[in-house]
Order: sequence, then C-alpha cells, then structure tokens
Amino acid sequence: MRVNNTGYLLSAVIVIVLLGGCFFAEQKVKTTPLTGFSAPFVFGQFTTPQDNPLTNEAVALGRRLFYDVRLSGSNKLACSHCHQQKLAFTDGNKGSMGASGKPLAFNAMSLVNLMWGPRHFFWDGRSKSLEEQALMPIEHVDEMDQDLDELIDELKAVESYQTLFAKAYGEINKQNIAKALATFQRTLVSANSKYDQYLAGTATLTDIEEQGRKLFVAHPDVKASLRGGNCIDCHSQFLTGGFNTLYDGFTNNGLDTEDQLLPGLQAVTGKPEHKGLFKVPTLRNIALTAPYMHDGRFDTLEQVMDHYNEGIKTSSTLSPLIVEANNIVDGVRVKPSLNLTEPEKKAIIAFLHTLTDHQFITNKAFSDPFLEEQKQ
Amino acid sequence: MNVKQRLPLMALITVVILVMGIYGLNWYKQNAIKTLTVNFTAVVGDQPLVFNQLNYQNPGGPGLFKVRDFQFYISNIKLISADGEYVEPDSYHLARFDNDTTSYAISLDNIPNRDYQTIEFSIGVDDTANGTLTSKGDLDPNSRMAWSWDVGYKFVLFEGGLAHDNTLYPLVYHVGFDENYRTIVNDLPHAVFENPQASVQFKVDIMKLFNGKADLNMVELPSIKFDKEDTRFLADNYQHMLIGVTDR
Ligand code: HEC
Ligand code: HEC
Repeated sequence: MRVNNTGYLLSAVIVIVLLGGCFFAEQKVKTTPLTGFSAPFVFGQFTTPQDNPLTNEAVALGRRLFYDVRLSGSNKLACSHCHQQKLAFTDGNKGSMGASGKPLAFNAMSLVNLMWGPRHFFWDGRSKSLEEQALMPIEHVDEMDQDLDELIDELKAVESYQTLFAKAYGEINKQNIAKALATFQRTLVSANSKYDQYLAGTATLTDIEEQGRKLFVAHPDVKASLRGGNCIDCHSQFLTGGFNTLYDGFTNNGLDTEDQLLPGLQAVTGKPEHKGLFKVPTLRNIALTAPYMHDGRFDTLEQVMDHYNEGIKTSSTLSPLIVEANNIVDGVRVKPSLNLTEPEKKAIIAFLHTLTDHQFITNKAFSDPFLEEQKQ
Repeated sequence: MNVKQRLPLMALITVVILVMGIYGLNWYKQNAIKTLTVNFTAVVGDQPLVFNQLNYQNPGGPGLFKVRDFQFYISNIKLISADGEYVEPDSYHLARFDNDTTSYAISLDNIPNRDYQTIEFSIGVDDTANGTLTSKGDLDPNSRMAWSWDVGYKFVLFEGGLAHDNTLYPLVYHVGFDENYRTIVNDLPHAVFENPQASVQFKVDIMKLFNGKADLNMVELPSIKFDKEDTRFLADNYQHMLIGVTDR
C-alpha cells in the first residue's frame, strides 16, 4: 500500500503520535510482575519507579549481578563483599574494605526495607534513588574500581547474562544494570522478626522485651510520669528507620562536638543547619550489624546505649529532642542524658534483639546464586 | 497486522477522538467542575518566619527563640453551600513551611459547581483516623507525627530552641489527643470561584500558639507533650492560629 495523499498522511501522523505508545508497548520485553511479594501493612504503602517495576526477571538478574565479582575491576569483589546476607547485608567492619584495600571512612549500611523510609541513600543522603546509587560503588576506586564500559563488554560476553538481560529489560547497558540491582535490593524485606510476630499477634514479648518496647516508643514526659528512651522520635515506630518526608530522616544524634562535626547532609543541601546530620539507620537486625554508627565507632549495643544515656556531645545542630528527653524533673539545665537506669538500658537492648529476623538472613531468594549452582 | 494496514482504522479513531473532545469541552464549560487552592503562609507575630534564626521574643518571658520544625495536620476540609457540601476525600494534610515561600498549599479538585459560602476544616486528626494504623492522605504510622500506637498522632509539632542566660534550651511542643482536635470555620471570599485559579489565603501565626489566657513563658515551660492541661492550653490557642485573609 502506498500513502499518496497529504491529508491522509497528516492524519496518519497524528494517529501515530497519539497511539505511538501502544506500538512501543508491543515491542517491549514481556516480563512478569514479581510473584509472592508482600510487606506488612504497618510498613505503609510503597512505590517503585514507573520505568522499573518489580518483575521476576529483573529480580533474578539483579540478584546475580549483586553477587557477581565481575562487577569489580579486579573480578574479586561483588556487592556482597560488603553487604553479606548473614550480617543483614553489612560486613562487620568499622570501615568497609574494598578494591584499594584502604578502609572506607564509612560503615557499610544494612540493605533492608529500602522502599520505605528516607528517599535518600548513603549516610549523608547524597543519592536520590537506588538506581542512581547502584553504579556508584562499581566505579568508586576504593570500592569496586570498575570501568562501566568494560563491565558492559564483560557481561555481553556471558551467555547467561545475554538471556537474563533480554528477558528483564532488553539491552545490556548501564541503566539496566542499575535498574536490576535496584530491583533486587527492593525485594530485601525483613518482616518476620519477633517484633513483627508480636505486632501480628502471633508472639508475645517477654516482660523485659515489653518494658524495652515501651521505653523505645515513649518520648519521656516527667510531668505525666512517663519514662522513655525517646528512640521513636527518630527511629520510626515499625520500620525503626528515619522518616520518609523530605530530609526528616536525617538528624544529629550527638556523636561529635561542634569542631569534630562532619558535613553530613550539609554536603548535599549546603545548609548550615544540616551540618553533622546523618541518615537515621534502620534498627532491624541491629544485633547482627555491629559495629555501629556511620564510622562504626561503637562495637556493642551496650556502648550505643551508653552514648544515648551519658555520651551525648553538644553542638549547634544537635537534635532538641535529645537534649530535652531527660527523664528527670527540671533537669534540662544539666548535661544531656536520658538518665535511664541500668535495668532500663538492658530492657531497650532486649527489645532491640527482637528485631532480628532469622528468615531474612537465611532466605534463599536473597542468597548467592553462584553458590547454589556450584552445589547442583 | 502491520502498521500500514492499521492506518485507516487509526485515522477513524483520531476523528472520533477529536469530535468527542470538542463536545466534551463544551459540556465541561457548562457544568464546570471547580478547583480551589487553599494557601497557608506562616509568620511569627508581625515578622516573617525564618527557620533556625533566633529572631523571636519569648512570648511570656525573657530570651529569644528559634523554630527548627513546625508542622501540623489540617484535616476534613469541607466547602459548605445552601444546596450541598463538598467534602474532600481522604482529607489529611501535613502542613509544613520549610520551603522558599514558607507556605503550604492544598488543591481541592473536582468540586461540584455550587455557591459555596464557607470553608471548614480542622487542626488535628479526627478520633476515627487517630485510632487506626491505616495510611490515608498524609497519615503514616511511621511518620514523625506518629507517636506510639497507644496515643495516635501528634496534631501540631513545634521544635526549636530558646536562647537565654547564654544557653540554648531545647523547645519541644507536641500536641495530640482526640480532645485537642479543633475545627475552624471561615467565610469564603465573595465570588471566589469566578476566578479560574480560585484560591483562599490563610495566615498561620506561630506566635498565637503561645498566646492565650496567658502568654507562655518558654523558660518555665520549654516542653509540652502529654500533660492534659498544658496540651489543652496549646489547643485552645491554635484554634485561633489561622487568620483567613478574605474580603467579606
Ligand atoms: C567496599 C565495600 C562496598 C561494596 C563493594 C559495596 N558497598 Fe554498598 N555501601 C558500602 C558503604 C561503606 C556504604 C555507606 C557509604 C556512605 O554512606 O558513604 C554503602 C551504602 C550502600 C547503600 C545505601 C543504603 C542506604 O540505606 O542508604 C546501598 C543501596 C548500597 N550500598 C548498595 C550497594 C550495591 C548495589 C553494591 C554493588 C554494586 C555495593 N553497595 C557495593 C560499602 C560497599
Ligand atoms: C535525635 C534522633 C535520634 C534518637 C532520639 C535516637 N537515635 Fe539512634 N540514631 C540516630 C542517628 C542520626 C543515627 C546515625 C548516626 C550516625 O551514624 O551519624 C543513629 C544510630 C543508631 C544506632 C546505630 C545503627 C547502625 O546501623 O549503625 C543504633 C543502634 C541506635 N541509633 C539506637 C537508638 C536507640 C536504642 C535509641 C533510643 C534510646 C535511639 N537510637 C535514639 C538518631 C537518633
């Protein structure tokens, strides 16, 4: 058929513009929405980017990439080098050790429940999405030190990747590597700890755990005779991480004095009131993710509790919630402290242990696919 | 079917869409569904709100205070006319002002065309929503406005500092509890909907939060959270914190 009439051609153009979407949709890779994925209702709603939905194909690809040493320049380290499942995707080091063998200034963060909480990643919030984040460690000289073009060539030479990419996205390129890694990480949901079971009504907490829970969720008010550990002021109730709205999930919890403060969030926003603010990390699986804080300065949860109870350092951006929460009548004027008793500190630690999710750290869906294949 | 074979069919579809569009536009003009923007701009007394600056006089005592955070829930917005009400669905908005214009805007869409006289909304969260964990509108049980399961949401959150005696004292005012839910009714400006970009303006005076039966002295009462009498004092004050900028 020949198109020889301008009017006809014009309407054809309009139609193609209007309905163009349909043709592209037809050409797209056939993917299947992720099966069997759910999260507790108390976590709240979640969204994924419109151009990167959760699909079975993307998860399979992302999981493989996450565990593949090809992602590093030396072909020796994968993401899983610093994010190990048995440690709730941390590495147990103060500062992570990557390609250069030089310890990083920062402690590896747990990768869990990433679809909720702050929509900014890294301790200082410098990355706005998991897609954007995913390529950073690959290229970083002290982490994986890999050239992306080289990586793409390497992956293109592997038959299994040709198939996996074709099924999940189409082309083997940067964007699709990032999308797959992001998708796999979004599936890392921890929601079967004793605390979750307690919330679902299928487990009961011991007396000391329950005392700890109450202290965890209470902002103290001596006038109303309420004692509290204040934790929920920053570590949200069910997710136990920072808040998701704007930069509300970043704060200064009194680790350093004014002259020692690192830029933190200020490096991203440029605002002086953001100096020394860091991402409030999730406390899920916290018993497994030592050492603690952005620089891994505390080895134990006892030290963390000592920090909140008697180690707070003051600075201009220190959270007023920390200074104000002191559990004593007219105590505002003394050095900031929660003034908790030893049994109360122990109770909070007991509660923190109820956040460990054994199913999460043994879930086969999150484990190393290469090891699995070797076994077969 | 390939692209070329589809062309005649698609040309027909285009024509149908265009015709429907023209008719639809006419219908729309006659039965116009309205939109309304409700704007809130924060001030502190007669000064503009600047966050993190020790600019403001302690309302009932010595020292200057600063605002680090200020947020509150506006819920259950209604427009009332003689022949019916418009009720916004899932009407829970967390108003915050940490932006360039220190203002917060709510857009109401799909408002049936009526001669509305008044706008009604509340500060806080109604007891039904305050007693559940369901996320609706800006209600989120993992948000910083959530307290703990036993007590529901904070309605108004103010955090900051007071400089006095060469020391910076923390200020923490969190008000929740069902009994502190306060409803506010205001006249709508005359013929507000004649403007296609209809809007109403409210001034939010943070100072009014502390001005009531007495003016709050931040040195004596730097924090209010659970004490029933103190929270009621703040609630009675925030009832008058919004000032409608109308022409009636
Ligand atoms: C050398 C160790 C190392 C390797 C390898 C590594 N990471 Fe990390 N990861 C870290 C450290 C350290 C941080 C915190 C860094 C910071 O905040 O500056 C981090 C943070 C993250 C975060 C942010 C989490 C949050 O809650 O904000 C994500 C996501 C992440 N890594 C994913 C990955 C992925 C995907 C890979 C592989 C492509 C990877 N990491 C490889 C050490 C590593
Ligand atoms: C004012 C906000 C705030 C309060 C209140 C608060 N935290 Fe934190 N918490 C933070 C921030 C911010 C970090 C990360 C700080 C950093 O590394 O710079 C953190 C880190 C932690 C860590 C280390 C997590 C990790 O992965 O390294 C633990 C454990 C912890 N908090 C427990 C608690 C407990 C228990 C309470 C209550 C007693 C509490 N927090 C109260 C803000 C807060």
